[in-house]
Amino acid sequence: MFERFDHDARRAVVRAAEREAAELGSSTIQAEHLLLALAGDPSTATGALLAAEGLDRAGVLQALERETERSLAAVGVGLADVVPPVPATPARRRRPFGASAKSALHRAVMAAVAREDRRITRAHLLLGLLRADRGTVPRALAAAGVDRGALAAGTERLLG
Amino acid sequence: MIAETALTSPEDPADGLAAVVALRRLADRLEDAEVERALRAGWSWSQVAEALGVTRQAVHKKHHKRVAAAGGGRGGRN
Repeated sequence: MFERFDHDARRAVVRAAEREAAELGSSTIQAEHLLLALAGDPSTATGALLAAEGLDRAGVLQALERETERSLAAVGVGLADVVPPVPATPARRRRPFGASAKSALHRAVMAAVAREDRRITRAHLLLGLLRADRGTVPRALAAAGVDRGALAAGTERLLG
Repeated sequence: MIAETALTSPEDPADGLAAVVALRRLADRLEDAEVERALRAGWSWSQVAEALGVTRQAVHKKHHKRVAAAGGGRGGRN
């Protein structure tokens, strides 16, 4: 499905997502790493749209942390108790896509198909991320008080 | 590190499942950090493996590239 992604979306976003996964100590690229990658470039239309919602890279990281904290609290575990004291060195090896990232990519393709767009851009990918009802990304957005539906509508406006 | 009340089941399964994801994420990060720390402290791969309850091959395969890139540990296959 990747051949339909335009050059920018594929190379820059995947590379940035891989970096985010490495930094967060994840052995796979997940949806939240794709979101961080999109938020990490405010010079793009999607990055600017996210920033306007308070979701620049730092904002997304904060939302993710809040989500983790909330989820752990639900089973009686405190985040401060379990975060490793020494950050491990991130590996530079390639990482496979995890299930949530694959779903987002699939939904991005579906969004492009439905709109009869020939190319899949960052905005399609953001739509793909926003259309997940369950998982870390929607929970993090909810924790940050972001209206996912409104953000998706804003993303669709970017696509014209 | 876990509250005295031990693990409780939240009402909404979505919260319980998200907790599983969050704990896995933390366990992975903790494993990376602690394996690296043990190797830096002079532990062998075999000792790390035994402490983790996995095979030496498994722990070596999972961590050796990262630890080597960090310039830590013995770097060998012991």
